[in-house]
Amino acid sequence: MEEASRSDDSNLNPIRNRNPTPNPLSTIISSAQVWPTIDGPLGLTEEASVDYARRFYKFGFALLPWLWFVNCFYFWPVLRHARAFPQIRNYVVRSAIGFSVFTALLSAWALTFSIGGEQLFGPVYDKLVMYNVADRLGLSGLA
Amino acid sequence: MDRNQRPRSIIDSLGEELIAILTPVSICMFTVVLLVCILNSDPSSSSSASFSSIATAAYSESDSDSSWDKFVGAFLNSLVFVAAITVATFVLVLLFYLRCVKFLKFYMGFSAFIVLANLGGEILVLLIDRFRFPIDCITFLILLFNFSVVGVFAVFMSKFSILVTQGYLVWIGVLVAYFFTLLPEWTTWVLLVALALYDIAAVLLPVGPLRLLVEMAISRDEDIPALVYEARPVIRNDSRLVQRRVWRERRSGQNDNDDVENRTNRNEVVRVVRSAEVDEEHVGSSERAEIYVPLIDRRPDQAENSETFLEGIGLGSSGAIKLGLGDFIFYSVLVGRAAMYDLMTVYACYLAIIAGLGITLMLLSVYQKALPALPVSIMLGVVFYFLARLLLEVFVVQCSSNLVMF
Repeated sequence: MEEASRSDDSNLNPIRNRNPTPNPLSTIISSAQVWPTIDGPLGLTEEASVDYARRFYKFGFALLPWLWFVNCFYFWPVLRHARAFPQIRNYVVRSAIGFSVFTALLSAWALTFSIGGEQLFGPVYDKLVMYNVADRLGLSGLA
Repeated sequence: MDRNQRPRSIIDSLGEELIAILTPVSICMFTVVLLVCILNSDPSSSSSASFSSIATAAYSESDSDSSWDKFVGAFLNSLVFVAAITVATFVLVLLFYLRCVKFLKFYMGFSAFIVLANLGGEILVLLIDRFRFPIDCITFLILLFNFSVVGVFAVFMSKFSILVTQGYLVWIGVLVAYFFTLLPEWTTWVLLVALALYDIAAVLLPVGPLRLLVEMAISRDEDIPALVYEARPVIRNDSRLVQRRVWRERRSGQNDNDDVENRTNRNEVVRVVRSAEVDEEHVGSSERAEIYVPLIDRRPDQAENSETFLEGIGLGSSGAIKLGLGDFIFYSVLVGRAAMYDLMTVYACYLAIIAGLGITLMLLSVYQKALPALPVSIMLGVVFYFLARLLLEVFVVQCSSNLVMF
């Protein structure tokens, strides 16, 4: 369980030894605990996670799909172990759906714009494309 | 598994911890060199508009001045900048003394937002302009907004995904470092040396602002809000898993004994605080100090930016190494400036900085207190830059053109 929840960690992680202590009680505790966050024991407890997941989900509605993605990334063990954390899972799944929908819409628009180009949009293209906007506002004239 | 039965020695975890701090420093330097090479390579696009900030307030370099004039001008610039940093740090100490921690945290989040949105947006616009990437402004604004706001969350909130927070701190370092490389050449070099000297003074002298700050934080057992990079703590075999290692949480005094016990085989007392302006050092045995040092940038058509960074290196409460964001920035400025000359100087300076960082970490484990991270690396870097430029280049070019080497 522990390895699974930490399998997505960065390669900076050391090899985790599951049962180093001789105390059987702590062995039982450590082996039974599933951490809801991707950081494992360095991350949040389950109670705090519900609060965090809910807050991220709500904030994501302010045009922040990246926040939804970070939410899913951070609570990845929740998505993997389907029955472990029902409350957190609710928010994380909804964040994932929200992220997918928003990304689909945004990339549809962005791809239409970049592939369609001038033929599709006509004179509006020149008004919308970023490098022209930057030139007009003088943003690209940095040192 | 037999491997786990063998007791882990110091060597096993020491390498991991070193790599954990060297990797982000290297990534930061590499990204800055990449940006410098991409954005400065086109000579037609480099305008003569100078980058005015507080670091060029006293003197702005122009090509026609003599060497002595340039040196004096650069020296004056550095004095102004170091004076500004000192004043800002003392203001920080005062605010911390008056317990305005909430204001400092808010200011930290605000400055992170300004750096990510403003400087990040500028870099992205420059990149888009350079490659003529057909993105429209609506998508661009949404992406930039997302990037900045999540960055503010990562920096502001204490319990956030470690990887995301580290990534954003490295990004902030890259962005600020790139803009510092736009300073005129002499000013950059004299400024780096001046900051290295200031770092020693601020951390090691009893009246130094950073030392005062750290001591206050230790005595109050509080967190200092600042931008500091903390490597992920290495969890070793002998650690009791029941006791959770919390990455950013402040622990009460009673847990200190456990920590010390856990680390006795490394003989670490985690009370190393480094303070240099920019990065916050690890304060106390379980604090994550984050200190801000205002870094005031003034751009001609933009509002004043203030970011606070703290320099220094220390050990986190769980034994993880903490390095201030200012160290990231000034190492990258040095390497970026070397990249403006040639890649050979980049290699020389990179190796010098990494060697300096290694020496500093060794001193850290010997002295067990906050140490400035800048001086050794910057001095080595500057020395090697000039050696490479003046001596090595001639040698290598002669050898290559006579087909003796390379």
